[in-house]
Amino acid sequence: MFNMSLTSEQLEFQAMLCDFVTNEIKSESIKPSRLEPFDKPLMKDLLNQTSELGLRSISLSEEAGGVGADLMTSCIILEELSVGDVDIAVTLSQTALLAGLLFDNWMTKKQHDLYISDFLSDATFHLAYVGHDPDALAGWNYHTTIKEEHIGSPFATKLDENLIINGAVNFVTNAPIASLFIVPVSFEGKMTSLLIPKDIAGLKIYPAIKTTGKEQNRWHHGTMSRVEFTNCYVPIDDCLKNSDNGRDFSTRNIIQRAAINLGVGRVAFETAIEYTKIRRQGGADIIAHQAIGKMIADMAIKLEHARTMIWKAAWVLDNPDAVIDNNLSNLPLHIIASSFTAEVITDVTHLAAECFGAMAVMRDMPLQKYVEDAFIFANSDTNNLSTKLRITEAIVQSDR
Amino acid sequence: MDFSFSEDELNWQNKARDFARNIIDPKSVERDQIEGGFDPFDWSIIEKGSEIGFRTLAVPTEWGGPGTGFVTQALVMMALAKGDSGICKAFSQNWKWSHLIVNACNDEQKKRFLTEFINDHRYMLGRGITEPNAGCDNRLPPDNDPKAGYRLRAERDGNDWILNGEKTFIANGSVGSLFFIDARTDPNVDITKGGTLFLVHKSTPGFRIGKIFNKGGWRFYQNAELIFEDARVPHANVVGSVGTGSVKAAGGDTTGGDLFGDLELAANAVGICDDANQMAMLYATKVECSGKKLVDHQLIQLVISRMNMLTEALRSFVLRVAWEHDQGKRSANGVLMVNYSTDVVLEVTKLNMEVHGAHGCRNNPRVDKLVRDAMIWGHLAGDTSLRLKAFSKLDQGIGLEKVKT
Repeated sequence: MFNMSLTSEQLEFQAMLCDFVTNEIKSESIKPSRLEPFDKPLMKDLLNQTSELGLRSISLSEEAGGVGADLMTSCIILEELSVGDVDIAVTLSQTALLAGLLFDNWMTKKQHDLYISDFLSDATFHLAYVGHDPDALAGWNYHTTIKEEHIGSPFATKLDENLIINGAVNFVTNAPIASLFIVPVSFEGKMTSLLIPKDIAGLKIYPAIKTTGKEQNRWHHGTMSRVEFTNCYVPIDDCLKNSDNGRDFSTRNIIQRAAINLGVGRVAFETAIEYTKIRRQGGADIIAHQAIGKMIADMAIKLEHARTMIWKAAWVLDNPDAVIDNNLSNLPLHIIASSFTAEVITDVTHLAAECFGAMAVMRDMPLQKYVEDAFIFANSDTNNLSTKLRITEAIVQSDR
Repeated sequence: MDFSFSEDELNWQNKARDFARNIIDPKSVERDQIEGGFDPFDWSIIEKGSEIGFRTLAVPTEWGGPGTGFVTQALVMMALAKGDSGICKAFSQNWKWSHLIVNACNDEQKKRFLTEFINDHRYMLGRGITEPNAGCDNRLPPDNDPKAGYRLRAERDGNDWILNGEKTFIANGSVGSLFFIDARTDPNVDITKGGTLFLVHKSTPGFRIGKIFNKGGWRFYQNAELIFEDARVPHANVVGSVGTGSVKAAGGDTTGGDLFGDLELAANAVGICDDANQMAMLYATKVECSGKKLVDHQLIQLVISRMNMLTEALRSFVLRVAWEHDQGKRSANGVLMVNYSTDVVLEVTKLNMEVHGAHGCRNNPRVDKLVRDAMIWGHLAGDTSLRLKAFSKLDQGIGLEKVKT
């Protein structure tokens, strides 16, 4: 039966996080002294505090010691977190998503037993996926027979009971803080995924990407860096059970990122409403003016539509039978939700900024950051000009 | 109709293109990436441009300037802004207020201030009207609130006026030598009756610069607070008459000040769009995706076509308005044009961002810079209140008359 009610657990999580975000995270993340500089290092103390609430293991099953939340619940949580700080939300979303996939599905029992207690007991234990969304650029191949190769993935050769890994991947989210890496490699023409701890010989993790100086790069969220393998010997026993897990990860990652983006739009919206109630121009608080009223309504419409689409897409990924039974359309709902959210959140942040007048472009005020955050989501690894064509591909059921 | 340019117009355009290519462009991203509010500014660029005539471009020949018209000024702004929008604005802000000196000041004031302005390569001009609680209200004063609008107080003391209060977000604030200041000489009536316009030199006792704003875009361009603590300004610095309303004293929208302001923003927007179009085409012809150049994908062709379509429409609108200004024609076109430029400059720069995608944005900070610059239109000058201002300038009787007949 169609039911949009949240469970009591989901509502509790939401309320608890809302308080935590308001009282602990948001006040720190929008301090002028943090907003103004280009460099915004990850707030590690707050990240650890947030981890201690159990958010690092939200996707991990209860049997394995986690919360056992479904994807929709993760999206609710990540939206709340992102209202406080987008970087903390991105960092935790990576670890939490990977923890569920890794410990519950991808690992052998031996691998699981080796790492699970360290993961659960150490709030600073993070995970990183050293690979790309295999379909990120698929839209560019619309109606062609070109098959995307695993370009840029590290490659492996075999020697005795080891695989020798060489190659590098840039812009790996969580790499500077991760204890354990999941690394898809090209081996004998196929993809194989390996489990690689951070201290293994032949693995070089570069420092977090700089946000200042000549080599600056601000076009990312969270913390990321280059990961390089040079004759890195990995025992064959460290191969994960499934050989090609890129799509498992990327479909869920896309939805989680959309939820985080939604949080960016929501905080911009809420900030704008607060301001329009106290800013007086034209003989009234500006919220009383039709011009402002329409902007707020437009923002609300876009946010509600995005949230509905994200929740639906997340629910479908956990309930694929609904598609098999023809209850729901067999479309890539995660792409639809992500594309739609990326578009409307750039609109929402711009509308919110417009309510602020000149203050919206001042670096010690938060609106300019929200606008920039939304742009990064709209032009990212998971969203680009061609992304929508992946939807069309599904509609015409094109067979490459 | 004749769309060709005169030899003089082309000469200025070429000078501006050379300056943008050789001096501005190489420094543009470098200055943008410097932290802080004041630090991205660089006097050497202003001085070099001033030597060519870009600082004083709008001053008539009888006062020692080049005496260019609005079409020339628009062409120069388009070219300079293609190098860097904020640097272009640092120059053109001076044209805006030198227009106002010429149109609203008496001969003694013109001689006193234009002479200083012409002779000093670091002499910059500004106008302080905005205050923390007075933004849109200065532009569209509400009928039901006579206290609305600027509150900086000016009280007569013999041959002087004593100014107290503060201005905020003031363009060229931290580098200006001379400011027009809108002040209340009668706090009991609205600003259209109790406002007066003053000229205040930076050396005025009791006047100082406050906070320098650190902006997301237009980072070279300076915006600052101006603080007045018993600042003593001679009566000889009153522009027009006391208590006529500072906007009226400045001639409202009929003089070069406000009139030029619309043209200034819209022409500058064309320069950013030209830059974005060139960047998008260069990137699309260089980068391959899915076995062919980006530019060979229909998605990219459609985007680049739209970017150019919007840009050319804006260019035509800008040059039409510039020509109308040169002919002395006054209409709603100026404010309609700047509204249009606000939409176009943001859309074109966002589309350029889409052409570049994540990879292009990561590897070229100029992509993001152009959007941050374009954001300024909707916040410092072309915001919602200006869209309402545009409506107020339309001839609202015409449609009704047609219905009647």
